[in-house]
Amino acid sequence: MLDRVLGPLNARRLHRVFRKAKLTVLCLFLTLIVLRANIGAGKFGTPEKDLDEIRETFSHIRNRAEPRRVLEEVAELKSSGDADAGSKNYADFDIKKILKDEDDGFPEFKRDPSQPYSLGPKISDWNEQRSEWLKNNPDYPNFVAENKPRVLLVTGSSPKPCENPVGDHYLLKSIKNKIDYSRLHGIEIFYNMALLDAEMAGFWAKLPLIRQLLLSHPEVEFLWWMDSDAMFTDMAYEVPWERYKDHNFVMHGWNEMIYDEKNWIGLNTGSFLLRNCQWSLDILDTWAPMGPKGKIREDAGKILTRELKGRPVFEADDQSAMVYILATEKEKWGEKVYLENHYYLHGYWGILVDKYEQMIESYHPGFGDHRWPLVTHFVGCKPCGKFGDYPVERCLKQMDRAFNFGDNQILQMYGFTHKSLASRKVVRIRNETSKPLEVRDELGLLHPSFKAVKTGSS
Amino acid sequence: MAADPTYSAQKRNPTILPQTTSDDDDGGPRGRHLPKGRHGDRKFGNIRITILCGFVTVLVLRGTIGLSNLVSFEADAESQYLIEETNRIVTAIRSDDDPPDPDDENSPNSTSAFNLGPKIKNWDQDKKLWRRRNPQFPYFINGRPKTYLVTSSSPSPCENSIGDHYLLKFLKNKIDYCRIHGIELVYNTAHLDKEMSGHWGKLLQIRQLMVAHPEAEWIWWMDSDALFTDMVFEIPFHRYRSSNLIIHGYPDMLFNEKSWIALNTGSFLLRNSQWSLDLLDVWAQMGPRGRPREEAGKILTSSLKGRPALEADDQSALIYLLISQRERWMNMVSIESSYCLHGFWESLVDRYKEMMEKYRPGFGDERWPFVTHFVGCRTCASNGDYPVERCLKSMEMAYNFADNQVLNLYGFRHRGLVSTNIKRIRNESVTPVVNVDKFGIRNSLRGNKG
Repeated sequence: MLDRVLGPLNARRLHRVFRKAKLTVLCLFLTLIVLRANIGAGKFGTPEKDLDEIRETFSHIRNRAEPRRVLEEVAELKSSGDADAGSKNYADFDIKKILKDEDDGFPEFKRDPSQPYSLGPKISDWNEQRSEWLKNNPDYPNFVAENKPRVLLVTGSSPKPCENPVGDHYLLKSIKNKIDYSRLHGIEIFYNMALLDAEMAGFWAKLPLIRQLLLSHPEVEFLWWMDSDAMFTDMAYEVPWERYKDHNFVMHGWNEMIYDEKNWIGLNTGSFLLRNCQWSLDILDTWAPMGPKGKIREDAGKILTRELKGRPVFEADDQSAMVYILATEKEKWGEKVYLENHYYLHGYWGILVDKYEQMIESYHPGFGDHRWPLVTHFVGCKPCGKFGDYPVERCLKQMDRAFNFGDNQILQMYGFTHKSLASRKVVRIRNETSKPLEVRDELGLLHPSFKAVKTGSS
Repeated sequence: MAADPTYSAQKRNPTILPQTTSDDDDGGPRGRHLPKGRHGDRKFGNIRITILCGFVTVLVLRGTIGLSNLVSFEADAESQYLIEETNRIVTAIRSDDDPPDPDDENSPNSTSAFNLGPKIKNWDQDKKLWRRRNPQFPYFINGRPKTYLVTSSSPSPCENSIGDHYLLKFLKNKIDYCRIHGIELVYNTAHLDKEMSGHWGKLLQIRQLMVAHPEAEWIWWMDSDALFTDMVFEIPFHRYRSSNLIIHGYPDMLFNEKSWIALNTGSFLLRNSQWSLDLLDVWAQMGPRGRPREEAGKILTSSLKGRPALEADDQSALIYLLISQRERWMNMVSIESSYCLHGFWESLVDRYKEMMEKYRPGFGDERWPFVTHFVGCRTCASNGDYPVERCLKSMEMAYNFADNQVLNLYGFRHRGLVSTNIKRIRNESVTPVVNVDKFGIRNSLRGNKG
């Protein structure tokens, strides 16, 4: 046909052009698809969205085909308005669809970005302010019993669901474990799920939180920070508070590793005690400057890698920063810092978890040390994130075992124990009696001496 | 191509390989047999292009939809492997990997009455004696009776991870309320008795706490899908000096209508006493799994208004018990509706914004509900009775509504009721104790003792 219009030679030329054009068009088309896949095309979406939409359409068709179930259990009070206006299946629901920021009219107070970072306005008389408050509030003393300070255990996690599908379940188990220990030992808990300062995100988030809590709870004598991946494995061990009466900051670590070696893992900031006093506010202010994310944190990271032994290259973290501060300013801070290693205020899980059965055979709760660790800390497991430093299966299995190891000590109060360290099932170990008050639990945890309060108050 | 002479040449000579349309420029003079080499070249050229297109298609598909069993980069393969590993492990965790117990079968007909435990008599006297001997474990502190709040959830992960996430948030909410009000919190994740499975497990948990903790004056059961939305309100214990059970409900619905939702056992308090132990023993009779629960279910359905055909549940059983044994129990029961000891979520969540405008924490009733209870959402299961989006959005709103009251002391607030982000609403002070006195909930409660 084209032959007739254009002539045979031109027709051939045109065919040639078409053939080349076909290839060009094909390549262009493919490029567009690839770009769309990676960058997206606004409201035209990405191929993943296409796939989701296709899936949704098919499942929608499938759902409609199922016989409608009449939900009789629902009370008559249910209004007619919500006649099945959406899916009732929780699988594949993306919570991010719901979450969004709104302006509710409350004015926001922002930090002045032109000023160098600080945790808050400088306070210099906190000890005096605090003791005045304590005098005016005798109902909330900072010591709840002889030699027993009021302690606030602080931990937390992200307000968004974990990326790992079982992450939230392990966070739940971990907080239950802390609730149990705290209840036995008369300790209060603050579970944080809010990012107070976006600049101090990540491991630095604890600093603004700790400062805020110290200032808002003058009745608290010691703040005990504990990571969400740390669990109590000795429910009977009470921290020797008397030992720290002249100290303000207790961490698990070794003096030689910090002051002599400047080893970046010479101490651990996953579980530590901080006294509520001026000194602590000051050390927090000294600690914070390496934290603000971005260039400051990156550059600080380089300094820390250079100065500390064994530290790999990455941005500044709070633990390395504390090692650096103590190693370089020992005269200023060292006197009030206690590096504890006689019990596992922090116990690295790698060397502990395989020994639980041996411990059960040879020892009993109450030691807090290598015989029966107070805390087993799953450093590097990151159950809430997608990928940690260790194989997922080992981490989760061992976390189950550690949880059960601690939970057994709680359950024995009521006459139960887990079937095995790997099992969720519980079995009775003590027959019930019609005279429950004549029976004592083996570990004496139902009414331990460290839970007793000062008598004499109404 | 119309009337191509080469084509007809091929027809005449079938041994010659057919020419494919290709990017062979020169088109070839008509009628010439092309040498085999040229055929081969063209063929390779064609194949090259086919392979190229095929490769690009694979890349595109892999990049977009993720068909990683085709050629993929190492990092993505690793990522995919990890996701699969995690899913495999998650499935293993969710399924019960214990071998079944030999005595785990249904005990269909226990002719003897079911026992929550050995019959305890004289509990009131024993408890009093113990308390006198152990003043260091007081049962009355700062003007409030010592209370244990108990809640529970399954030891296995939820069907969907969002369920665990909200269990965590709701537990944090309970931690906050209990810390502010000096209540002991117990979170149970063990199935203590295979007969008293499901919601019936609460009876055993309550009894167990009572007898182990004589210093506890009240045991407060709260479902895991209920949360505190009034952080200031406290149970007016002085009202209940002669009661042993405090439960939310409506007396006319209970005695006149005999409705199966006249009371709510999602949030109630039982005094630690002989009376309560006796009530639990009688209540438990409808609970044992299998035949007793099914038979009891039939009785309950026929006796209570609006109840569908179901096996016996603890709420209907308690309602039936209080109706049928009214003289025995009712004089020590306080049916409370003047505040939301249990607040059904559907009628509350849409009004949070209005409440924040008009009222303030402390009322505990419809103006500012004490407890918002997400009955029917069942976030830990795979399906609920209500649309997922409504449930989750409402739960997030209720959680933030409550969390704002906690964050207020620290000078923060959520950026709206559906936001996980917070903002500072008060300038930091160099005299923080002033803010503690002004905004601390505990301080505001000092007048409400006794």
